[in-house]
Amino acid sequence: MINRRMLLALSVIAPAGMVRPVHAQSDTDRAAAFVRATGDKIVAVMRGAGSPEEKRRILGPIIDASIDVDGVARFCLGRFWRSATPDQQKRYTELFHKVLIGNIASRLGEYQDVRLTIGRSMPRDDNDVVATTLERPNNPTTTVEWVVADAARSPKVIDVIAEGTSLRLTQRSDYAAYLTRNNNDVDALINAMHQQLAEPKG
Amino acid sequence: MNADSPTTPAPTAINVAWAFLARTWQYCIFAGLLAVVLAGCATPPPADDPEALADFKQTNDPLEPTNRVFYAVNNGLDTVILRPAAQAYRFVLPGGVRTGIHNALSNLGTPVQLSNDVFQGQPRRAGDTTMRFLINSTVGVLGVFDVATGWGYPNHDTDFGLTLASWGVPDGPFLFLPVLGPSSPRDAAGFGVDMALDPFTWVGKTPGMQEFNWARFGLNALDSRERYLDPIDQIKKTALDPYATFRSLYRQHRQGEIEALAKDDRATVPVWFPQPSTPAR
Repeated sequence: MINRRMLLALSVIAPAGMVRPVHAQSDTDRAAAFVRATGDKIVAVMRGAGSPEEKRRILGPIIDASIDVDGVARFCLGRFWRSATPDQQKRYTELFHKVLIGNIASRLGEYQDVRLTIGRSMPRDDNDVVATTLERPNNPTTTVEWVVADAARSPKVIDVIAEGTSLRLTQRSDYAAYLTRNNNDVDALINAMHQQLAEPKG
Repeated sequence: MNADSPTTPAPTAINVAWAFLARTWQYCIFAGLLAVVLAGCATPPPADDPEALADFKQTNDPLEPTNRVFYAVNNGLDTVILRPAAQAYRFVLPGGVRTGIHNALSNLGTPVQLSNDVFQGQPRRAGDTTMRFLINSTVGVLGVFDVATGWGYPNHDTDFGLTLASWGVPDGPFLFLPVLGPSSPRDAAGFGVDMALDPFTWVGKTPGMQEFNWARFGLNALDSRERYLDPIDQIKKTALDPYATFRSLYRQHRQGEIEALAKDDRATVPVWFPQPSTPAR
C-alpha cells in the first residue's frame, strides 16, 4: 500500500527526476545534432578540393553561422571590454572575426584526414556540452568538447575545450597579459591583432 | 702556519689565475641569480583597481618577471637545440618506429605510474597499469607494441604532482623552471619524488646502466618534444603573449587531469570478458 510519505516523496522526485531531464535531454540531443551537422560541414570543406583561399572563403559563413563570434570576442576581452570605447569595441570585434577565421583556416592542412566522432552530451551550467573525439592519422586521439549555448532556439558554439583546455579562456589570458604589459591600452591590442593578420600564416 | 712547509706546493701563477677565475665566475652566477630573484617579484596593481587586483590574484604568478626570464632562456635553448633535434627525429624515423619507442619508454615508466596509482588510492587504475606492464612486456615485446590497449587496458598519465593534488595539496604560484618548463611548487616537488620513485635512478651506477639511463633521458626528451612540435609552433605563431598562453594552458591541463583522476570510474571488465548488459557508469 502506498503510504502518504511515499506519495510526498514521489511528488518531490517526479518533477525533479523525470520532467526536467526529459526537457534537458531534448536540448542536449539538439546540441549534439547541431555539433554533428556543423562538424560534417567543416570536415567536408577541409577534405574537399579547392585552393586554401577558396576554402577560407567558404569557411567564413559557416563559422559565423555556427560560432557566437561576437560573444566569444567580448568574453576574450574580459574586463577590458567595459573600459573600451564603442569604436574600439567595434574595431576589436571585426578584427577578432578575421583572426579567428585566419587561425582556423591556417590549420586546414593539418586536419585534412580528420575523423570526428560524437560522444556523450550533457548539460553544464546554462549550456550543453557535446563531447567528441578527433582522430587523425599518426596523431594521438584527442577529446574535444563543444560548449553550445541556446540549444533550444538558435544553437551557437561558445567554447571549444580541447583535452581539458578551454580555447576562449586561453585566449582571454593571452589578451589580458598583453594588455597588462601595454598599459591596459586596447588600441595597442588592436594594433597587435592587425600585425598578426598582416603576417603570412604557414 | 709555516709557509716553507714542504707539503704545500708553491702556488704557481696559473693556479692562482684559475682559482681567481673560478671564484669570479661563482660570484657572477651568484650575483646574476640574486639580481633575477630581486627583480623577480611582480608588483601588484594599485588597490583602487579592484578588477585588476582580482585578475592579478587569479593569475597567481607573483614571480612573473623571474619566470619570464627562464621562459626566454628555455625558449632560446629550445629554438636552437631541442626543436631542431625533434624535427630531425621526426624526419629520420618513420611514424611506426617513433610510436614503438614511445610505447617502450612508457612501459619503462610503469614503476612510477603504478606507485602513484597506489598512492592515489586508485585500485582500478593500478590494475590497468599492472596488466599493461605484464601484457606489453611479453606479448608486446619489451613494451614496443601496445597490445594492452586493444585488450581493454587503456593507458593513463599520472605523476606525484597529481598524487599530491588528490591528497588536497594546492598547486601554489606558477613557476617556470629552467629546462623543466611550466610548473608549480606542488608539481616541481612531485617531479622530484617521481625521480626518487624510479628504480632506474638507483641502479644507474654501473657503466652499462649509466649509458642506458642517458639514452632513455635523451629519447624521452625527443619523443615528448616531437609529439608537441605542431601545437607549440601554432601557439607561438598565434599568441600575442606566448608565456601567458602557456601558463594558462598548463594550469587548465593540470586542472583537467586532476578532475579526470577524481572522477575516474573505469570499469574493471576487460574487452575480452562478457560485457554487462548495461554500460558501467
